[in-house]
Amino acid sequence: MTPVGLQHYLVVSVLLFCLGLLGVLVRRNVLVIYMSLELMLNAANLALTAFSRFNNNLDGQIIVFFIITVAASEVAVGLALIVALYRRRHTTHVEDMTALKN
Amino acid sequence: MNPAMLSLELAVIGLALAVLLIDLWTLHEFKHRLGYLAAAGLLVILVASLCCASTGEPPATGFSGMFVQDGLALFFKRIFLAAGVLVVLMGVEFRDRIPMGLGEFFTIILMELAGMMFAASANDFVMVYVAMEMMSVSFYILISFQRSRSYSLEAGVKYLILSALSAGLLVFGIALIFGTSGRTNFAVVAAEGTRLAQNKLFCLGALLVLLGLAFKISAVPMQMWAPDVYQGAPTPVTAFLAIGSKAAGFVLVLRVLFVAAPALALHWGKLFTWAAALTILYGNLCAIPQRSLKRLLGYSSIANAGYILLGVAALNPPGSVAVLYYLAGYAFTLAVIFIVLCLVARDSDDIAVLAGLNRRSPLLALALTLGMISLAGIPPLAGFFGKLLLFKAVLEQAAVHRSYLWLALVAIAGVVISYYYYFGVIRAVYWSEEGPEMTPIAVSAPLKVSMGVCIAAMFYLGLCPDAVLSAAAKAVQALRF
Repeated sequence: MTPVGLQHYLVVSVLLFCLGLLGVLVRRNVLVIYMSLELMLNAANLALTAFSRFNNNLDGQIIVFFIITVAASEVAVGLALIVALYRRRHTTHVEDMTALKN
Repeated sequence: MNPAMLSLELAVIGLALAVLLIDLWTLHEFKHRLGYLAAAGLLVILVASLCCASTGEPPATGFSGMFVQDGLALFFKRIFLAAGVLVVLMGVEFRDRIPMGLGEFFTIILMELAGMMFAASANDFVMVYVAMEMMSVSFYILISFQRSRSYSLEAGVKYLILSALSAGLLVFGIALIFGTSGRTNFAVVAAEGTRLAQNKLFCLGALLVLLGLAFKISAVPMQMWAPDVYQGAPTPVTAFLAIGSKAAGFVLVLRVLFVAAPALALHWGKLFTWAAALTILYGNLCAIPQRSLKRLLGYSSIANAGYILLGVAALNPPGSVAVLYYLAGYAFTLAVIFIVLCLVARDSDDIAVLAGLNRRSPLLALALTLGMISLAGIPPLAGFFGKLLLFKAVLEQAAVHRSYLWLALVAIAGVVISYYYYFGVIRAVYWSEEGPEMTPIAVSAPLKVSMGVCIAAMFYLGLCPDAVLSAAAKAVQALRF
């Protein structure tokens, strides 16, 4: 059995990234879309950690901390915004967000 | 490391915290004075940056090379500070439409401004990410600040989703760049540029980073959000999005392309010509049928991103000088237009609200007309000279690659199309049927002064561009071509 190498981690990371992107494009619920976006960020985190581990360079893991911190603040604001929209419109579906259009 | 390098940013953040604190002891009816306080503070910082702060010569780096203070950074910081003053004053005018949290509104504008200033000094991909998110998160709040209006909330959620998507692309791009180069510092990545330019993974990473930045400048293929968000956001915030966020996106594009990956930029001329051509055509063609003024400006902002991309696509120093010059003129032009919209488009921003504006307030009618003329690119205003410089840079490059000739033709076609909708606005001001509302509009003194300053700046940039041009030429020395 071959040991788990950099490629394995990267394949998983790319898969996660593509799943997240797919989720953003096809799902219709804002909350699920937002979850998919977090998946994309975590795919990047995984790639950074793996690169960091296999290149013996800890910078990548520090970047991951930055990303986690910033993503947390983004979620705090983002979820508040989605809740505010839900209170006003009683929906979180993107099809219902059609007040702004040509 | 020299903390004095951060003095401008620290001053803005200090001002933001001061406004937040003083807000606690301010009665509701005096809250708008916080806006005057913030504007005055920003004005002091702007003047300080013009006379006392270091000139950026020689460029200084700090914080392990993450932060750079050079001519390019200072040029953009001055644009941001000037935009900040104007946006805060617009916010004061807008106060009756912000139900609560006026103090926080000004604080978050200042935080946003600090994020833009950090972006101008970014010299590391991590810094790019953090500065971009500082801008984005502040904008989520600002765009949806009118929580009682469902337009505002919807615009906020749309911006949230698409901005987070662009951040996801950016971060994954940074991960790939880190993985292939082992570093995220621009200078270190550039040093290995020729080797990395052969690496497919690195190229993909750089492409993803540029896609993430394309969101901020609202260029094709990340332009979808602009019209919706411009329409839904409170008018001062729309102004800040159009002026500040776009300029911050462009300084990052210039830095990533010409500081971090100059070897790659050489091969990517074609990519940028396509992006510029498509952005110009998309923005101009979609703007034609618009009735909502802010939506119209959203499409116009996409078209302008396309024009500015001409300067990036030219891949030469005159192109980058033109980008800087154009952004400076664009800031004042848009500021004057949005000040007029703040005052006139109160309940609706349909183009019909402009009916009879020349009799309700000749000053506002004149200001709006001059703004539209500058955007359309008619001499002698700033917009004309900026477009001239951009076209000149592209034509210089056309001597080398013939494809640039097509780009110039597309751009000229775009300008001609844009006359239709810009003059549609002017026609609505002077030659439309009189609207139901014909009361004169009172303009507060600070806004009168800011409109005067913006108009003077538009004429100054258009008639005697030498001073700004030489500043821009010094600023682009930070870039390598």
